[in-house]
Amino acid sequence: MMRFLKLFLPFVLLTSAWSQDWIRTGTGLGVEKVRLAVPDFNASTQDAKNADLLKVFNETLWNDLDNAGIFDMVSKSFYPLGQIGNPADVKFEPWSSPPPNAAMLAFGNLGVSGNGMTVQGWLYDVKNVTSPQVLGKQYQDAATSDAARLTAHKFADEIIFRLGGGIAGIAESKIYFVSSRSGHKEIWAMDYDGANQHAITHLGSISLSPRVSPDGSRIAFSSLTKSGWDILMYSLDLSRLVAFPRFGGTNVSPAWSPDGIKLAFSSSRGGDPEIYTVDASGGNLKRLTSFKGVDVSPAWNRKTGAQIAWVSGRTGLPQVYTMEADGTNVQRLTDQGYAVSPAWSPNGQFLVVSWMRKYGPGAPGAQDIYIMDIASKQWVQLTHDGGRNDFPYWSPDGRHIIFQSSRAGSLQIWTMLADGTNQKQLTFAGANTQPNWSWK
Amino acid sequence: MEANAEIFFEHDRWGRNLTWSLVLHVAVAVGILLYAVVAPGSRGEGWGAGGGGDAMGVTLVSTVPLPASTVQTQNVLANDSKGLAQSQPKPQPVQEALPDAIPIPDKIAKTKPASKTSATKEKAKPQPVEEADNVVPYGQGGPVSGPYGTFSANGAKGGFGFTGGGGDFGSRYAWYVRVVQQKVSENWLKYEVDPSISTAQRVYITFDVMRDGHPANVQVEQSSGVPSLDQSATRAIQRIDTFGPLPSDYAANKVSVEFWFDYKR
Repeated sequence: MMRFLKLFLPFVLLTSAWSQDWIRTGTGLGVEKVRLAVPDFNASTQDAKNADLLKVFNETLWNDLDNAGIFDMVSKSFYPLGQIGNPADVKFEPWSSPPPNAAMLAFGNLGVSGNGMTVQGWLYDVKNVTSPQVLGKQYQDAATSDAARLTAHKFADEIIFRLGGGIAGIAESKIYFVSSRSGHKEIWAMDYDGANQHAITHLGSISLSPRVSPDGSRIAFSSLTKSGWDILMYSLDLSRLVAFPRFGGTNVSPAWSPDGIKLAFSSSRGGDPEIYTVDASGGNLKRLTSFKGVDVSPAWNRKTGAQIAWVSGRTGLPQVYTMEADGTNVQRLTDQGYAVSPAWSPNGQFLVVSWMRKYGPGAPGAQDIYIMDIASKQWVQLTHDGGRNDFPYWSPDGRHIIFQSSRAGSLQIWTMLADGTNQKQLTFAGANTQPNWSWK
Repeated sequence: MEANAEIFFEHDRWGRNLTWSLVLHVAVAVGILLYAVVAPGSRGEGWGAGGGGDAMGVTLVSTVPLPASTVQTQNVLANDSKGLAQSQPKPQPVQEALPDAIPIPDKIAKTKPASKTSATKEKAKPQPVEEADNVVPYGQGGPVSGPYGTFSANGAKGGFGFTGGGGDFGSRYAWYVRVVQQKVSENWLKYEVDPSISTAQRVYITFDVMRDGHPANVQVEQSSGVPSLDQSATRAIQRIDTFGPLPSDYAANKVSVEFWFDYKR
């Protein structure tokens, strides 16, 4: 019998123990990225300010193109010697053949004269010697580092627009979020790359879940006022709060419809928190859900505006559901666990949610970001690296996702490509939560 | 005789071996039963669930509009294959008889008279007409960007050709062709195809890209015979809002594209 055990025990152990790997799989496989070379821009004038502005410009341009997620940036160490500032300087052969082996070349020059700055930029298809020019641009602005950064964003967006298939770049987009670094939870804003962080509201209360309107003129958010939690409306054009009705009860998580005409939000004015829609002017209040249990966090289908995804607790733990914008055709998307914070992708095809697949005692599930394909009900896990990851939101180009994560110790805002790669931390000071990306 | 006798007398030991064999068989059977009872894990309750333990059953969503890691290009002009060019066979060195060699009578081959063939036999069979030589020798294919290209997505393949303008759209705006190729392959969802199909005929789709970049007039030019494949290919185009505006120095109002999809599971 001992011999038998010796024979079979390893086998028994082996079969039960092969298990714990997860599969990391890419998406859109088989499509090559464009190999893009971006040599530093040259100075075109003899001004003392050139060097500083060029440094800002070159850094910003490189980062924008690198972050875009559609380019394979050719490392600068491979570049042929010699400066390129004008089309006449371009020699195709050294760029198009290995080691750079670039398909595209972005180059140009920057010159300060007086208080003005002129930037000329070109994009060349270096494998196409006969008609190489894809893009040629000239920008004029004040000779400040902010202007240099903005010009770099604009030029990067032009390149991304051309080579990315007509989807506008996000280098000029903004991110709104909640930060407590002033002592109160206020609404803050920053550039897409984390630069230029500044406070928007100064209410001295608690403000949550900012949602910027599709035209970028207003921010709706929920805030604790004297009458309880209300939806407030802040005008970015006027830089002050504008009137919006108080509905009574607890009103949270506003969401703009993609045409900017309506808002969906959760209100407990009738007792149970339910989803309501209201015109952006505040009129025409309509109730969409009527089921026992909490209903919060509505998110419109950003392409059609005809559906709303939201979180409902009607079966116990929160789960993500979708319905038509009139409240019909309710469908449950998540099958188990604890799923919150849905956000609809700009092309209408995906939902991104924060999900604890296993929830409850004895199941210490991590809270991670998942993408769901609505038509096929397939899903992909994007974050794996610990911490609680919540409040995902799509970039306007649909290639990036922003979210909050506690993996760095405190709650901070992170960004990643929509396939889960290239995760970067954007905020570092205080606690920063609930990011919202502008619509363009 | 004696050797035979010995074999006959040994059949007592058979029983013992048989017993051992029986014991071992029983032990194996018991072992299997024990394993079935003792072995931890599911007994089928979790079938079809997303995975076990911490392992996640990740299913592939093929169309987050992102290009992923580089793979080798499928373009025949840019891969390592030597192409279709035939190398000339090396001429065999003709062995010449040494000048001072004495001929061996047996080795002198008699020249055979050419066998007479009948008139009917002499008639040459029709040979395949050789086509114009368009073989691209290795290393001389020029740049990858061309008017016609192929792509592959998750094992399936497609290709496309451009017509329109002066016919040189593809060579002048290779970057735009690339964008079209990428967007279509990103938006082709293979799970829309009937899962029982493993291979199918090539399906040809034609469409126009209008001045502002949106696709129009999507048509199945030649069906694959599999309706779900035709439909998934059509939808791949229809799903696209825009390819981006046509190049500004391009004169015509639209460019026509023919796209083919090879499906293989």
